[in-house]
Formats: sequence, C-alpha cells, structure tokens
Amino acid sequence: MNHVHSNSLVIAEAAKCIGCKACELACFAVHNRDNGVGSTVGTVTMPVVPRLYVIRTDSFTMPVQCRQCENAPCAGACPVQAIRQKDGVIAIDADACIGCKACALACPFGAISLYKAYSGGAELPQPLLQERRDSKLQRKTRIIAYKCDLCRDIEMPGAAAGELGASGRDSSVTAVQGREPFPACVAVCPEDALRLVKVGSGNPLSQHREGMTCDVIQ
Amino acid sequence: MNSFVIADPGLCIGCHTCEVACVAAHSANNMFLQQEENPDFYPRLRVTETDQVTAPVQCRHCEDAPCANVCPNGSITNNSSSISINQDTCIGCKTCMLVCPYGAIAMVPASRDGQRQIQAGLRSNASGVWARKERLVASKCDLCDESGNGPECVRICPTHALQLVVPGNVTESIAAKRTASAQTLQQFGGLIRF
Amino acid sequence: MLFSEPIIKIDPELCTGCRRCAAVCPVDAIIGEPGKPQEVDAHRCVVCGQCVQICTVYAADSLESGDNLKNKRLQRGQLPSVREPLFAAYSAGQVPEVKRALADSALYKVVQCAPAIRVSLAEEFGLPMGTLTPGKMAAALRHLKFDRIYDTNFGADVTIMEEGTELIGRVMSGERLPMFTSCCPAWVKHAETAAPELLDHLSSCKSPMQMVGALVKTYGAKQNGVDPAKIYSVAVMPCTCKEFECSREEMEVDGLREVDVVITTRELAQLIKDAGIDFVNLPDEPFDSPLGIYSGAGSIFGVTGGVMEAAIRTGYELVTHETIPNLQLDFVRGEEGLRTATAQLGDLELRVAVVAGLKYVSEILKQVKEGTSPYHFIEVMGCPEGCVSGGGQPKLLLETLRKKAYQARKSSVYRHDSHQQVRKSHENPAIIKLYKDFLGEPLGHVSHHLLHTTFHSREKMSPNQALGVKED
Repeated sequence: MNHVHSNSLVIAEAAKCIGCKACELACFAVHNRDNGVGSTVGTVTMPVVPRLYVIRTDSFTMPVQCRQCENAPCAGACPVQAIRQKDGVIAIDADACIGCKACALACPFGAISLYKAYSGGAELPQPLLQERRDSKLQRKTRIIAYKCDLCRDIEMPGAAAGELGASGRDSSVTAVQGREPFPACVAVCPEDALRLVKVGSGNPLSQHREGMTCDVIQ
Repeated sequence: MNSFVIADPGLCIGCHTCEVACVAAHSANNMFLQQEENPDFYPRLRVTETDQVTAPVQCRHCEDAPCANVCPNGSITNNSSSISINQDTCIGCKTCMLVCPYGAIAMVPASRDGQRQIQAGLRSNASGVWARKERLVASKCDLCDESGNGPECVRICPTHALQLVVPGNVTESIAAKRTASAQTLQQFGGLIRF
Repeated sequence: MLFSEPIIKIDPELCTGCRRCAAVCPVDAIIGEPGKPQEVDAHRCVVCGQCVQICTVYAADSLESGDNLKNKRLQRGQLPSVREPLFAAYSAGQVPEVKRALADSALYKVVQCAPAIRVSLAEEFGLPMGTLTPGKMAAALRHLKFDRIYDTNFGADVTIMEEGTELIGRVMSGERLPMFTSCCPAWVKHAETAAPELLDHLSSCKSPMQMVGALVKTYGAKQNGVDPAKIYSVAVMPCTCKEFECSREEMEVDGLREVDVVITTRELAQLIKDAGIDFVNLPDEPFDSPLGIYSGAGSIFGVTGGVMEAAIRTGYELVTHETIPNLQLDFVRGEEGLRTATAQLGDLELRVAVVAGLKYVSEILKQVKEGTSPYHFIEVMGCPEGCVSGGGQPKLLLETLRKKAYQARKSSVYRHDSHQQVRKSHENPAIIKLYKDFLGEPLGHVSHHLLHTTFHSREKMSPNQALGVKED
C-alpha cells in the first residue's frame, strides 16, 4: 500500500483549556527573537502578535490555529505565491506578502491574521508607499499575514527532554527529534490541552486516528 | 486597513453592467451621447470570462500595495481606506501595471472635464505624422471615493455578485470563523482522541 | 505615604478566570469562579506578586485597539514610553513619581537596590538570564541623576549584626524561641494576619531596606551634609510587597518616611529605557560609600537560605571567637520549600529551618503554637526561591524558562558572594565604622530607635486597613 504523507498539525482540546493564553504568549515570544524579544516581558517593544487565538464562548474556551490543510485555500488565494508548503508546513513568506487579505478571507478556520510587520522590534516601513495620516503623507507600515508554522525552524527554550516545566508531563511524546517541529504552544500549555498531531508518522495513536480525524474535520 | 470590492463568481452572470456603471461613475461624458466611433470606455474593473467562470476583477487595495511601492514618483498613495493613483502626476511608466498580481491596473488616456489631455512637450509619430502626444495614465478602482456614495459597481450589479468589504468585515469574518471552528472542535472534539 | 488603592490587582476586563494565579497564591487570596474575572482578597493577600508573575492573559494590541491600552498604562502607573504587554494581574507602579523627583534639583536623591536586582535587571535588556551586573546597575542609576547610589546589601550586613546579636541573646536566655526572620514583608504581613499570637517570635529587626532608609536620613544625611527633609529615598526591590512595607506607619524616622518610594526591578528597567540609557554597553561604576559598601554575606540575602547562611557566618565567629572554617554553607542552600539543619557553633547546636514559599510555613507555625518546634532560628521568605523569584522581578514570557531563570539568578548571587573580598557582615569595614562612629553597639540605644520595629495583629482589621488603603 502506498503511504500518503500528510502535514502535521496542532489541535486543541476544549475540555482541558482554561483560557490562560500562555500558548499565544509563547507563540509570540519564540517567533520574535529577531525583534529583540528575550526571556522576559520587559524586552518586548511591539504588540503581542500570536499565530493562534484563544477563543472564548459562554460555555468553553480553546485556541484555534492553522490545520496545515493539504489543499490549503490560503495558498490558492494568494496572488503572489507567498504561501507554500515548505518541509511539511504551509508557510507564509513574510517578505513576499503584499497584504491583500485574500488568504485571511479564504481560510475557513480564521487561522490567518493581518498585523503590522516588524523588524528589529520596530514597525517595518513600506519601501515607498505613503499614507495620509494626520493630514500629511507619511511612510506606511507594512501589514502582512501571519499564521502557525508549527515552530518549524524555531528552537524551543527549555524544551529538551525532561525539562518541560509547564505541566511536568512526560516529554517523550513530543520531545525534539532532529528537525521535527516542537511547537511552543504545545510546550507551555499548563493543562496539556494542545497536541502536535503527526498523521501517518508510524505513531500507533495517529494510525488509529488517521481515518477518523479526516472524517471529523471534513 | 483598506476596503475593497470583491465578486462572487457563483453569482456573476457576466452581464458587464458593473463595467458600464464604473465608466458612468468616473466619466464626465455621457457615454450614450458620445458621437465618436470609439467612445471613451475605460472601466476600472474587468469582467473576466473563462470556460467555467465569469467574474469582474478589480483592485484589492493591498495593504502593502506593490503598485505604490514601485511607483517612481509617489503618485500612488494610501488614502484613508484605499490605494489611490494621482493621475495628474502619473508619468505613464507602466511599472505598477506590470507588478500588480491581480491585473487590476490598465493604461488609459487621461482626460479632464471630458477633454483628452495633450502633452505640452512630448511629440510622437505614432499617427504617421509628428504630433503632440496624448497623456496615458494608470487607472484602477478607487472605490468611487469621490462620489461619497460607495462603489457604483456594487450598487448596480443585478445579481448582487459584488460586495464592498470594509476592514471591520474582515476582522469580523475571521473572528466568526475562529469561533465556529472552535465550536465544531468542541462539539466533535471528543472523537479526536489524543 | 499611604496608597489610595491596593497594590496587587486583577483587571476584570482582561482576566479570563483561568485561575493559574490561584494555584500559586500561597494564602488563597484569589477569589472567583473558573472562567470569570478573579478578585484579590485584600485582607489575606500578602502582596507577594506571584500572581503577577504567573499571569499570561495579556491585553491584545491589534490594529484596531485604540486608546484603551494607553489609558490602562496610565492607570497602572507606567511611563508613556513603556511598550511591554499588559497582563490581567498587575501591581500598580510609582515610576512617573520617581521620574518627576529625579528632575527636581531641590531634592537630594538617594537610591538603594536589593541584592536580587543585580542578577536579574540585565534580563530586561535581552542579556542572558541571571547575568550579574552590579557595576552597570550603579552606572545606570548615576546616569538617572541619583545623587547617591547606596545599597540594600549594606542594610543586609547591618541586619546580620542586629539580628545575629538578637538571636544569640535569645538562644542564651531561651526566650521567645524559635526566632523568625523579619526581612520579608509578605511573611511579616502573613504572620500578622494568620498568627498574631506569635508576633513576639519575630526578630524585632526592620528589613534591610528600611534599615538603609533609616540610616540614609540620619547617618547618611550627616555624612553628606544635607538636610534629611530634602532627601528623596528610593528603593529598587524585586518585591511588590516592599511598597506596602515602606508605607507602614511605623517606618519613619524623626517624622520622615524612611523610604519615600519603592519601585520594582521591572520598573527600574523601564526608567532606564525611558532615559535612553544604553544599559548593555555601560562601563561599570562603583557604589557610593559608606552605605553602598557590602560583604558577600549581604549579597546572598537575595536567595532562600541566604539570611541564614549570613547569620551563621557571623554567629559562628561571635559565639566561638574563631574563624569559621568553611564559608559555603551548603546545608542551608537548596530550593526545597522547607529545609532543616543543625549548625554547630562551638558547643552550641543551633537548630535552624529555612522556609521558601509561604505555603510551607503553616506546618512550622502550628508547631510553634503547640510549643513543639525544635528550632532556634527560622528563616522565612514568601517567594518560592527567595527574592530572586520575587513578584517585582523580570517576568518570564515562557513557563518553561522559570526553573532555568531562578537557577541562573541564584548561581549569580552565590558567584557574586564568592568573588567578594569580605564575605562576613561583621568584617565589612563600612559596618565596623558605622558602629564605631554612629550606632555604638548592636541592639544599643541608637539601633533600637532606628533599626528595630514592632508588629501588630491584623486579625480584626478591615480589609482596607490591612492593606494600608486610606479610608475616608
């Protein structure tokens, strides 16, 4: 039988989530080291721009993020091919994005947000585009699409085997192996409400689940 | 953030009424009364047809508009909620047209008060004789900003295939989809066992 | 100065009711249903700020959010230049007031920093966790236009002289044992609330911060030839409860507040950034003499077990009149919530306990109430690993970093101690001079007036009184 390899994804369990937003904060922290974000809150000079979003309703709370769709509608809608599947992750090339919002509207999960772009902790201006602000023309800040990249190219601090401080759980399930992604949201959740799901990775759990997951999510 | 007009191909019947409305909204001349063989008809959106689909395509007023970022003399700027071309300063370099990923920019003759603009200096022999050249400028959707009534194409479309998306709509739509996807997962999440 | 509002607050507009704060609160002072905004019970709250440290519910700052955040910053006493995110649990700050005072040339501005500041301040400027920067810290304070850079570590050395003498006296006479340390204001407030009948077991010493405050406006004023009333005394603390402590009515000397205002480590970083000081590249500068000269023993007050270790280093030599053979007292170091040991001071077997985290103190209090406590001396710190983990310390963005950060800060504190020429409080030349020229002897008349205090039951107080809130 031919083995079809699907993208991994992070998914949350509403029954466990307590709404603490630690996942959002961790997501922001690890993605913005180039913006000067260090280990403490005082190093932050920009708004917190997460790539997953804790939703609260009257009856429950849980984070929502990208499912790394195999036929990603966001990528289909992108007029400049700034969204591609790279090493098993549907990734946005921030430099190529033109801020047209088509991907954000195309995503059925609401997993894409548009925020200002930052460089070195400061707002990144457009090359030339000016906007009218306070009745004069001033250089506009770039606005780009952001989404979950499974922390693919990010080293999670304090996440080596046995060092998971947040929930103190067994780290063997999600320990970093070579270039396997280790999402920060999963690492910091104090309630173990987030999981990285590897579809068809040889993990008995995921094999058992493969068909079911597809049914449910479709 | 900027507003923009977007079409639903499922509703578009390819009637081109939006193009007519666009020209009527932006032209000082009544196109139905023009005497010339080739009346001015330069709509800022174009109904695009393929074997499977028809839909008007126009400017998305990108936040990081590539057209504006390549314009050599700052003729394309961001107004309060749209990307706008200053045709008076446009030099007709066509770079914006080439860079737009939606094909939303076209080169059109410039006119003022219904009169084509003729250049003072530049002469051309395109017509077979040396003559002062007409100005050609970049043209694209401006959301009918100056009319104050909103986009004419949206108002006129007989099948309501066009809609104006304002920044609040984008945020609301994303938020609503987020909540819906959370609800779905919460409902069926029990089936997804970790 | 009394506060018009409680110090620790939870913003009902932001709080999602995740109750992680309730899990770390040592005194069950956080009240509310899961999923609903929580409230702080001002009577129980010991203002330790652990809730402030754990809270991850930040205020979203999207493209559309307007003046709401600006107003919140203003309400929280932040400078307009602050960019860091706001969280649901917070402590109201005093930085704008300090900034105004620094610009006032009529005031003589004096500052002291707690032992734990110099091992964590650099984290707010992106340096590795636990980077040790006493020299940059002193330089930055001088750039901020403080007239004198004094140090709480000096006060820690004074504390050892006073408290050590007090301990030996009590052990010899067998009175009011065990004796508890009294330098942690969260512990003091807890004792006043939960065990008022045991208050005479606390050392009568003021905290090192208040001792420095009292000395700054007396001994220091004389040394510098300034009018004590012109002195504006600022303390930088790793602690949210120190603001509460400095506003206690009894913390005054000759009608003047000992410490006029307390800011946290985080707030000092904000002040430095606001002034445009390039902290990372500052050349080291020294502290000012005499109230800025400290021993290694003074600097280990920043970690759990530090007061105990410093006290034993001096106590050993006072009791035995011999040099202590080993200065590194591993038996009181560690991170367990409760550590016990026996220290041999000559013929005296000193039985000691070290408590880190107020939740571990209840068992000890029960023993003392029942008269079954085997200890002579008990150090209590409200925060999990002592002041390095205080509520006013740089707040970590990732929970996974917490253990590493505390480890790094602690080993910096110990490294700082081990590199000091003088590592025992009673050998600090500035301390020797202070007693020779000004105080006379430990527990003497002047000390009694300036450096010792009383505690009072908060059992029957209204919640507002208990938290020092002004009642109209």
